[in-house]
Amino acid sequence: MRRTLRARSLRVAAGLLAAGVAMSACSSSSSKGGSSSGGVPGADALTNAKGVVNLTFWHSMQGTNQTAVTAIVNAFNAKYQGKIHVTDSFQGSYDDAIAKYKTAVSSHSTPSIMQIYDVGTRFMVDSKQTVPIADLAAKDGYSLSDLQPNISNYFTVGGKLQSMPFNSSAPLLYINAEAFKKAGLDPTNPPKTLADLADDAKKLTVKDSSGKTTQYGFGAADYGWFVEQLAAESGALYCDNGNGRTAAATKLNITSGAALTYTNWWSDLVKGGYALNTGRPTPDAQAAFKAGKVAMNLESTGVLGGYVDAGAKSASPFTVATAPFPKISASDSGGPVVGGASLWIDRVGHSDAEVRASWEFAKFAASAQQQAGWHEATGYFPVSISALQDPTDVAYRKAHPQFQTAIDELQATQPTPATAGCLLGVMPQARADLEQAMLNVATTSTSADSALSDASSKISKLISDYNSAVSG
Amino acid sequence: MLSSNGLSIQVLDQRGGVLTALDGASHDADATLATARGGGTRRRSALLSRDHGLAWLFLLPSLAIFAIFILYPLVQSFVLSTHGSDIFGNSSRFVGLKHFREMFSDSGFYKILETTAMFTVMTVIPGVLGALALVLLMESRIRGIRIFRSAFALPFAFSAASASVIFAVIYNPAVGIANGMLAHFGSKPVGWLTDPKWVLLSVVVVQVWMTLGYNVLVLSAGVAAIPGDIIEAARLDGATGWRLHRSVMVPLLSPQLFFLTVVSTINSLQAFASIRILAPEGGPGGKAMTLVYAIYNKGFENGNSDLGTASAYAIVLLFIVLVLTAIQFGVLERKVFYR
Repeated sequence: MRRTLRARSLRVAAGLLAAGVAMSACSSSSSKGGSSSGGVPGADALTNAKGVVNLTFWHSMQGTNQTAVTAIVNAFNAKYQGKIHVTDSFQGSYDDAIAKYKTAVSSHSTPSIMQIYDVGTRFMVDSKQTVPIADLAAKDGYSLSDLQPNISNYFTVGGKLQSMPFNSSAPLLYINAEAFKKAGLDPTNPPKTLADLADDAKKLTVKDSSGKTTQYGFGAADYGWFVEQLAAESGALYCDNGNGRTAAATKLNITSGAALTYTNWWSDLVKGGYALNTGRPTPDAQAAFKAGKVAMNLESTGVLGGYVDAGAKSASPFTVATAPFPKISASDSGGPVVGGASLWIDRVGHSDAEVRASWEFAKFAASAQQQAGWHEATGYFPVSISALQDPTDVAYRKAHPQFQTAIDELQATQPTPATAGCLLGVMPQARADLEQAMLNVATTSTSADSALSDASSKISKLISDYNSAVSG
Repeated sequence: MLSSNGLSIQVLDQRGGVLTALDGASHDADATLATARGGGTRRRSALLSRDHGLAWLFLLPSLAIFAIFILYPLVQSFVLSTHGSDIFGNSSRFVGLKHFREMFSDSGFYKILETTAMFTVMTVIPGVLGALALVLLMESRIRGIRIFRSAFALPFAFSAASASVIFAVIYNPAVGIANGMLAHFGSKPVGWLTDPKWVLLSVVVVQVWMTLGYNVLVLSAGVAAIPGDIIEAARLDGATGWRLHRSVMVPLLSPQLFFLTVVSTINSLQAFASIRILAPEGGPGGKAMTLVYAIYNKGFENGNSDLGTASAYAIVLLFIVLVLTAIQFGVLERKVFYR
């Protein structure tokens, strides 16, 4: 008797454990996000509003950047006291935030203002929840010409600026100046093309007496963003239908051009022992540069402050120099794609007064004064042209002369469909698939052609699934 | 007994609660163990008595929770697996068995199953046998044995997420301790998480390390429950060392070993946090893409919201666990010695 009972209770216990695995897909409400907007409200909607208009602002800025967001919100609330009150709330990483936004659309509880990363732009347009910034500006006759044209170019879809650029960053080549001098290279004459970079990487790779590599010439994250930059510089469209701007893209161009060139280039450096492969996480590549393990690194302007500090505090201190992002060929005339994130104003489920108040906040956040302070506090590129003349910003650039590289790079770029960057509803997953393919080539005997063509067909399927999900 | 249903994976239950939900698993298993070990005195006839109705009344809260958090999502995933999803992840039109057809004709899916099987075998066997070896070694009367006992059970106190973050630092290709130690012995650096050859093993090491603590705890309790007179009698009969362990201790520990094998298998099939942190996207070449991770990838990772395919995967996982559990009860349990 005792034996059976004991066996029985164990059996029941384990059976229940098994049943537990059944837990799966999240419950979902089936209704869609509600009816379309009630048009673009005019200024009177806010003027006639009674009491304080309360706004919610979801963002993904943490640490120092979160403090800087709160400073902008506080300044805004002080200016509009008794009229508008913004409550900012951190929603986790960009990926987490967009996942929460999807849930919010289903439960009709979207925030008034939403910060979304560049690669989420197509999704936001397809979600049909927001009112384009261009429409609000047109209603007021407000000029958007103070926005950096290369930045607003990214967020312009179907000829209309959809969202307010807020935090932008540009890609740079970072250089360990001391390592350059030791190798007999001139840090003020940095490599300009991938081929130059590979030559310098070979000279910068240092081995000790036992043959162990103590310093790699190059080391950057396995990051699809870099490929997008090279494509834009070479003037090529990264996806079809005008980089997804005239109509939804159906194909990512990664089997030739920038993706193929970069994959082979990077894989050769890794296999030759001249580049340290730190995989996909960007913090790992950053740590390698900060530790002096790699002499050249590709990263966004956002890490400049951290790099300069790490170089100064290092056991063998080094100076950080910056150079424009390399090109495939010296004659490439295009420039980088400036990404980052932007602010979207939700229309569906929000009153006219709320939309107008959100518009006020968006204009405030992108203003020269706020952007100069934001630039100084976070290292993000100011989205306002006149912010560069602001005394705060002038002083910041005096203290960080390396930042001037990014400004020169951006101002030399002519806005074209290629430099606007590719919009794709599934861009985060497509980027990850490309990165997997590149890593596969660099670490196995798989050829770039076959890895990229596999990735391309996988991505095409994702895109067609997404496009058919949009049309319902 | 129903308290043990907390062990369910809740991977897709709440968009935000993934790590926490999975962390809860091993704690609930503890409760299950307690129930399983102490459940010998209740009499079956109680169920048939006139207090029948009252008993159901007391069961109602747990049954309600079971229905809401287990039964409803289970039914929902069957529903979702036959529907398409819009870009917000809401189910749209009925598509029949399309997701299943696509899944079974996708070579990537079989690769995922293979990875899942390898991951499970590579974590369950070392996890259970390693813990057994540690526990039997700790039977020796040496100074400071209590410190060792606590130390070996300590991984149990770590959440899967924080343990994984610590291992991510150890595995760091440029500044990590693992490669630092290899360099010290003159070896070439290894791409622990960046090389397709190594990534699965690197994650397995973390998973084994994490399960070891709990397994040691359970087996230690099992050893403590073995009556001293049995051991003494065995010693009087001349059984010592290896012979004592193999012929007396291990058979007496078989209920615990059986329980751990079942629980570890299910835990390994559900392992999520370590892969999420150490090998997002399944790591290089997708070599660490297990079934549970694939569910998350299709449903949520990288802004995806293909809940139809994710649910189809979840149903496959359900059947795999059911079949495995049935096999374990049919075959392994016969070898179990219940005192």
